[in-house]
Amino acid sequence: MAWQSLASNLEISELDDWASDDWGEKVVSPWKLSGFVEAGYGYLLQNNIVESNLSLGEITARLNIDYSHESFELVSKGELIYDDVLADTFWETRELNIRFSPSNNTDVKVGRQILTWGTGDYIFLNDLFAKNWQSFFSGRDNQYLKAPSDSAKGTWYIGGYSLDFTWTPAFTPDVYLTGERFSFYSPQAQDIVAPAADFSVQKNNQAQYSVRIATNKNGTEYAFYGYKGFWTTPVGISENQNQQLQPYFPKMNAWGASVRLPLAGGLFNAEYASYNSVEDNSGSDPFVANGQNRFLVGFESEVIKNLTASVQFYVEQTKHYNEFIVNSVTPATEVDEYRQLLTFRLTYRAFQQKLIYSLFNFYSPTDNDSYLKPSVTYRYNDQWLFSAGANLFWGDEKHTFFGQHQQNSNAWLRVKAQF
Amino acid sequence: MKYLSTLFIIAGAILSFMTHAGDLTNANDIITKANLASYYSADDGSAQARMIIVDAQGNKQMRQFTILRKDQADLGNQDILVFFSRPTDVQGTVFRVVKKVASDDDRWLYLPALDLVKRISAGDKRTSFVGAHFFYEDVSGRNPAEDNFTLLKTDDKFYTLKAQPKDPNSVEFEHYMVNIDKRTFLPMHVDFYNSQGKKSRSLEVLKTEIIDGFATVMHSKITQHNDGSYTEMQFRNVKYNVGLPDDIFSERSLRNPPKAWLD
Repeated sequence: MAWQSLASNLEISELDDWASDDWGEKVVSPWKLSGFVEAGYGYLLQNNIVESNLSLGEITARLNIDYSHESFELVSKGELIYDDVLADTFWETRELNIRFSPSNNTDVKVGRQILTWGTGDYIFLNDLFAKNWQSFFSGRDNQYLKAPSDSAKGTWYIGGYSLDFTWTPAFTPDVYLTGERFSFYSPQAQDIVAPAADFSVQKNNQAQYSVRIATNKNGTEYAFYGYKGFWTTPVGISENQNQQLQPYFPKMNAWGASVRLPLAGGLFNAEYASYNSVEDNSGSDPFVANGQNRFLVGFESEVIKNLTASVQFYVEQTKHYNEFIVNSVTPATEVDEYRQLLTFRLTYRAFQQKLIYSLFNFYSPTDNDSYLKPSVTYRYNDQWLFSAGANLFWGDEKHTFFGQHQQNSNAWLRVKAQF
Repeated sequence: MKYLSTLFIIAGAILSFMTHAGDLTNANDIITKANLASYYSADDGSAQARMIIVDAQGNKQMRQFTILRKDQADLGNQDILVFFSRPTDVQGTVFRVVKKVASDDDRWLYLPALDLVKRISAGDKRTSFVGAHFFYEDVSGRNPAEDNFTLLKTDDKFYTLKAQPKDPNSVEFEHYMVNIDKRTFLPMHVDFYNSQGKKSRSLEVLKTEIIDGFATVMHSKITQHNDGSYTEMQFRNVKYNVGLPDDIFSERSLRNPPKAWLD
């Protein structure tokens, strides 16, 4: 394979570099070329109503081409993907952006990019940028949890403060579950469904805006956030042009704050977000999700050498809960007013960090369901990476957040060659 | 002849008295000078570095990066930025440290694929730095206040000191022995011993150079004795007093590396 020979050539040249005391090219090229080829395989562990028993079956060829100029940086990352679950081959542009500094204290990044902020670990409050839940559930690499968006981001640095402003001209929702790869609970059908191609959603092309003010005072990081846009999953139902009921993305504005600081030899974080579901301010419309108050506290520490543990406690309070229940068609299966979530992460690194064991668990005492993500990653060398893991869901009820995914439980394997 | 030899003996005694007079006898004074020479040369500095990491089976990995460092005060707090350029899966990763003498260091890691600024908890100083046999603490410098030092021996070339951790539970070694070059005050050889009294880990300096008047480690090696695995670290393009501005040591540089200072 051409990729492999390229990778092995690179390996030899790197070692030659070391031996001959030559660090590579004397004149550094402004172009940088890199990439990988990755194969992933995953299998559903239980009978599921989705069409394919594969939760992951793909070969990805990634190419990164970067260009560095004195006054700007160009980043492009694209992937050619053969996906066996969809029986399709397609191109995906992961990033294609330009970054420059129009003034001494301003940075601008325009184009397709990955955006992230907030303090949660797999829990998002003020980070309302697009996520790919299909990737998260199928065991793809962590980086795919964040979906790209076509956005412009400006950052101003004033004193010890930074002000970020992002503008996404055409609303970019999450990559949510559609029934194509994973089934889910439908409150309308009151059952687990997998509509796949029949799951049509009303899209909109209106803009999303996010803002953050952040500062660091003596090692304590403070941030304040704002968001104007839409719910990032289709949590509303309305009539479309053909007078049919169809899921859509209701308008949503949010604001919040976070703090992160070293404490007792570890790291402590707390975050709050208020979601205002502006199309249902009184909370009485059963076809539009109610607003929420989201609270998170977390602590991470190295317990023993090479073993890091972290815990998070998260509460999602549904606003106007009385109106919500009174107007609900299915009050018995609605979420608790205070949905609680406890997460636990253990990471153990062995053999010079070449072998990494990771265990992440979500457990909800209010929903009585859980989601366990074990994985092991072996970095054989700078070229080859092997990993295996599982996504395991449990729940007492089929309508709860993780309980509905019990049949989506899967195990996966991945092999990656980098060049 | 007899007088002549007596004269030689006297001259020798005077010479040896003179050299001894120049020797430091206080362990803490030596360690302070060694700390200055190792981690605080000039007010700031930049260097390109690479590590080759060799495991017990002889498999090799490589890391290449650029380090920027600025002292807030000699022997005081420091700002450090590490920009990774190789291998490709860590390219664009940036490590930021605010090294603090009086409290735990602040540390962040920027992961470009997720656009994530990950903060690292302070406890794990003695874990591997990006898979190498060097610990985070070997890169940014172990705080001398963490250990008690005893001067064991002074010879022509080295001060030999024994260091014992004040908090034995915070480290994996029982004690370490360090040979400090009498001229440059660079620690040239460090052996770490475990609780069974066995040598567990050694740091050797393989090459030094004088750059802008500062004795500088250009090549060093850490060996783990139980399996023979090791990491070598080399530096090049070492510069001192380059005038790094304070404001590049911030979160901004994680997402937008200060190119002008990275050549």
